Amino acid sequence: MSSKTERRGIYVDQAALLCKKGCGFFGNSAWGGFCSKCWREVNQKDRAKQIEEDHALAERLQREEEATYAGSNAGAQSGNSSTQLSKPEEKRNSQKPLTVPAGKKFFSTLAKTTLGRDVNVPSQPAPTTSISQQPVVEPDQATRQFIDFLKTVQKPGRDIFKQCHSFCHSVAYKKDLGAEDLSESVQDFYQNLSDRLHTVYKGSPERIEVIMDEVEKYITLQLYEQAFCPESADDEVKDLAIQKRIRALHWVTVQMLCAPLKEEIPAVSDSLDKAITDVIEMDSKRVPRDKLGYVTRCSKHIFSAIKRSKREAASADDFLPALIYVVLKANPPRLQSNIQYITRFCNPRRLMSGEDGYYFTNLCCAIAFIEKLDAQSLNLSPEEFELYMSDQASPDRPQAPGISFSSSSSSRSGPRADRPENDLIDWGDGVEASVQDVLDGLHLDSCTPSTSAIDSDNVDSEGLPPPLQPQVFAG
Amino acid sequence: MAAAGATTAHRTYSFKVVLLGEGCVGKTSLVLRYCENKFNDKHITTLQASFLTKKLNITGKRVNLAIWDTAGQERFHALGPIYYRDSNGAILVYDITDEDSFQKVKNWVKELRKMLGNEICLCIVGNKIDLEKERHVSVEEAEAYAESVGAKHYHTSAKLNKGIEEMFLDLCKRMMETAQVEERSKGNGTSHASTGRRGVQIIDDEPQAATAAGGCCSSG
Repeated sequence: MSSKTERRGIYVDQAALLCKKGCGFFGNSAWGGFCSKCWREVNQKDRAKQIEEDHALAERLQREEEATYAGSNAGAQSGNSSTQLSKPEEKRNSQKPLTVPAGKKFFSTLAKTTLGRDVNVPSQPAPTTSISQQPVVEPDQATRQFIDFLKTVQKPGRDIFKQCHSFCHSVAYKKDLGAEDLSESVQDFYQNLSDRLHTVYKGSPERIEVIMDEVEKYITLQLYEQAFCPESADDEVKDLAIQKRIRALHWVTVQMLCAPLKEEIPAVSDSLDKAITDVIEMDSKRVPRDKLGYVTRCSKHIFSAIKRSKREAASADDFLPALIYVVLKANPPRLQSNIQYITRFCNPRRLMSGEDGYYFTNLCCAIAFIEKLDAQSLNLSPEEFELYMSDQASPDRPQAPGISFSSSSSSRSGPRADRPENDLIDWGDGVEASVQDVLDGLHLDSCTPSTSAIDSDNVDSEGLPPPLQPQVFAG
Repeated sequence: MAAAGATTAHRTYSFKVVLLGEGCVGKTSLVLRYCENKFNDKHITTLQASFLTKKLNITGKRVNLAIWDTAGQERFHALGPIYYRDSNGAILVYDITDEDSFQKVKNWVKELRKMLGNEICLCIVGNKIDLEKERHVSVEEAEAYAESVGAKHYHTSAKLNKGIEEMFLDLCKRMMETAQVEERSKGNGTSHASTGRRGVQIIDDEPQAATAAGGCCSSG
């Protein structure tokens, strides 16, 4: 966390940030290096259609986001709601006088997120990777979906949107907020909002839960770049550490973990493959709940694999080892980042007591186990463990699962350790013998072993072409 | 309760209960019997018995019980705290024919009390009383021990479906009492906060717990 200040300090010349057209405003990589105004001119046609759609949407909604368009819409509607958003609007303007004016009019709904994000352009000189990675349209869709959802909520919907919107803005300004602080303020926000829904709107708990899920989705989509694997935390370092660790443990077998999985059954290995895919896929989602959904799907596949292997319902005794195996085989990308992100920004109740939470907890356990795993926890001797870890030996033959299965089902301690050595000796003997055979065969043919000197000049052996002479080509 | 005001009337308690115990003591059979009323069923349709829920209605109050099974093997012992954080109750199962499994229960109890204090309701369960002839853990010893650590002791048989229903019901009642006491004390202090996260979660603890989750997984 202490490293955030120096990591941020990449210096880029001011000129590199200015609009390509040289109008004096700052450019933005998301706008192809133009400032918002010039970008608008360049992209007029493409955007015109979208604006129209947005306007239509806005008119339909009659909600406070209309205030965002108020400038471009000439305040045609939304007499009452335009005041509601004035505060964040002012705040935004005052904080970044250079980039906003044109963008605000132009990007309509989109402005909410992109404008929030481009605050950092003047203050944080290097064009952040987040901007280039991020398809600009996505937050727009998210906002739209959120608004569509809130329409079903009736009256509190307006208030919810207002709160979420201004919360996202206030957080977007605090670029140097540490990961834990950000998490805390998001969690506080969830808490306050659900309190409010309980006390002010008196919704049923189920209904409030649904609303809070949507709120979580909206907030996390808006803050994703800031919240996922933030620079201020060492998530990335941990990601690499666990990735390396899992890679080093590639040799761990089902039998060592005592997982009740019979991989030789096609249906079982099928389910395991699906589980592996799902746990990897987790990284592709942005909303914590969706990520959790993939953890759950992964777990369900593991359960069906266990069920097929064991023919009874899986208990935690069966499940955890199997999950550990799947994680080892999958080596999911950005594992720690994902775990941290979910823990920090997911609705806490889901993590603490729900079914998703249970599987997530198991995943955390699996990771903790992998990190601390030693010889004893795999029923290996320390020597064996060292040997495998240093890649000098491998108990697993991925090409021949039959071998690894039968061999590891035999007693593992004594004779097994020598196995690779024995193999090597056997192999050496075998090669020696076959070489001898070949040599013997040759011996019959070439009974006159003439020491032929290829390089000598007097090569009179028939059938050999004359040696090539170096030739000089002019030019 | 008083502090929770209007929301209390329709409130639902959500409890998380962890199931601890060595492998083979019958943890899974116990919950499967309780939640699905099944024992060693050949035609079992349940995919898994590691996370099960049960809805109860106790004296007019709705209770959602989430039962978390934990991996009981010795090698996973260190992972315990990740499982049982934030749980309202713990069921510690041993096999009455297996002295060793009772020792394991003692270890768990020590750990739970250390980590979660007295907020967690403990049940010590001697399972497999259908095998009374082979008993290796004396009733007196087990009950005396349970009392000494502030836990309740139960005898059950998943096979014969004995004592299980009672045990869970009793546990729920105790968890509700704990939750109400907590709420009352909270009501005196910060009257506003208690309505928020439904159920019996302690509000102040939650963010910490959330970060602790990361800590556990990432600390090394």
